[in-house]
Amino acid sequence: MSYLKAESIGQALTLLKESAPESRLIAGGTDLFLQEFPERLIDIGSIEELKWIEEKEGFLEVGAGVTHTIAGGSDLISDKATALAEACLQVGSPQVRNIGTLGGNVMNAAPAADAAVALVALGAVAVLMDKDKNIRRVNVDQLYAGYNCSAVDCSSELLLKFMIESCKSGEGSAFVRFAARRALALPMVNAAVRVKIKNGIISEIYLVAAPVKPAPTRLLKTEELLLGKSACEETWLKAEKSAAGEAEVRGSLLRCSADYRKHLVGILVSRAIQVAALRAIGGKEEG
Amino acid sequence: MKKEIIKFILNGEQVEVYVDPAKSLLHLLRNDFGLTGSKEGCGQGECGACTVLLDDLAVNSCLIPAGKVSGCSVVTIEALSRDGKPDFVQESFVEKGAVQCGFCSPGMIMSAHALLKQNPRPDAMEVRTAISGNLCRCTGYKQIEEAILLSAEKLNK
Ligand SMILES: Cc1cc2nc3c(=O)[nH]c(=O)nc-3n(C[C@H](O)[C@H](O)[C@H](O)COP(=O)(O)OP(=O)(O)OC[C@H]3O[C@@H](n4cnc5c(N)ncnc54)[C@H](O)[C@@H]3O)c2cc1C
Ligand code: FES
Ligand code: FES
Repeated sequence: MSYLKAESIGQALTLLKESAPESRLIAGGTDLFLQEFPERLIDIGSIEELKWIEEKEGFLEVGAGVTHTIAGGSDLISDKATALAEACLQVGSPQVRNIGTLGGNVMNAAPAADAAVALVALGAVAVLMDKDKNIRRVNVDQLYAGYNCSAVDCSSELLLKFMIESCKSGEGSAFVRFAARRALALPMVNAAVRVKIKNGIISEIYLVAAPVKPAPTRLLKTEELLLGKSACEETWLKAEKSAAGEAEVRGSLLRCSADYRKHLVGILVSRAIQVAALRAIGGKEEG
Repeated sequence: MKKEIIKFILNGEQVEVYVDPAKSLLHLLRNDFGLTGSKEGCGQGECGACTVLLDDLAVNSCLIPAGKVSGCSVVTIEALSRDGKPDFVQESFVEKGAVQCGFCSPGMIMSAHALLKQNPRPDAMEVRTAISGNLCRCTGYKQIEEAILLSAEKLNK
């Protein structure tokens, strides 16, 4: 048989073990179906165990098989990991969101995949299981080997879920993107932020803008600059300047020039921080 | 890929077909079942002309490998009319002049059905989001939005 629909994680792993290395996993197929098609496919799109969303001991656990539609509509994710819900709601179109999954978004390893960018800013850890059922946990930004190239071998390892530390009071996150249209357009730049604010001062911050590197990558210099600064207009302006300066971007003939992209990184980072900070201090959002 | 038997529910009827599971659902519908209502605009998820319902959700049939639909329910535009009479959404498209060349209409109407199944009282913004994966090169979208809002009104009467 060449196309198999697995019913459980156990069955998917057994099938992988029996038929590696020729076989490949397929979730929604929205990335894979347009690429070269392998001889054997193991469809994991209907495995219920990969679609759970729950909160356990301060961590939000989101299954790799959760679709963008489900993640975007989840109250738990909107509340505890806002940036992720926002990112998922901006992927492609309703048709793509209905079938495309978070696991596929990360494993396809595009440099500015929306959900992946939010996951990295949220500090998410990926939980993987190989065909001998060994489990490993890796930070999402460590899953990349190069541009559009995952460090995970999809013919031998299954991504089970993401673990995200729930945002507590005093913390907030946000995701923003800029694209040629509001639907069905890949972002020229996207940015996600997770911030903690104590007595009006930034005490923790995770900041990601993409596409900058092959993997969604934190802007560490800008993060450092912002730590200990007060949550105010002056700081947002510093963030904009610093992020644009720090990000070494490439231009793309299809989407935008390097200069424009650099400019956008600054603007979007500053916007994302402001929204995340407002959420952290429990402020009212406009519109 | 080698051909396989795939069983699924197509427009309410249990069907079985011997086909390459890597063939797209769109080509399966058009070439093997002769259901040519779903259109191929781009073949890569960008236009929505091929939209069908898969287990009640709108999907691009051009992006779905046939093997994926085994055990699922697929609904296409052909399932809507009864005895040659258009259903309430199709009728609303006619009433509002939302059809020009008609190439996008099957996909638009399936996206409208997917929306109304989940949200029988959508506002204009929700309608726009629901058809944001469907391109129309003729109408300018306004009449389509009006047609879907009119469909919702009829549904709630
Ligand atoms: C028209 C269109 C518009 C799009 N717009 C956007 C957009 O705006 N933003 C965006 O970020 N993306 C976009 N995408 C890309 C794509 O839809 C997403 O990346 C989606 O999340 C991929 O998920 P999937 O389940 O369809 O992946 P699949 O295609 O099923 O899989 C992708 C890769 O991941 C592997 N894989 C999947 N799940 C697992 C798992 N659990 N364990 C191990 N390996 C796994 C597969 O083997 C494959 O190599 C778009 C795609 C299309 C066609
Ligand atoms: S033909 Fe499927 S989206 Fe265009
Ligand atoms: S009516 Fe012609 S594309 Fe919509």
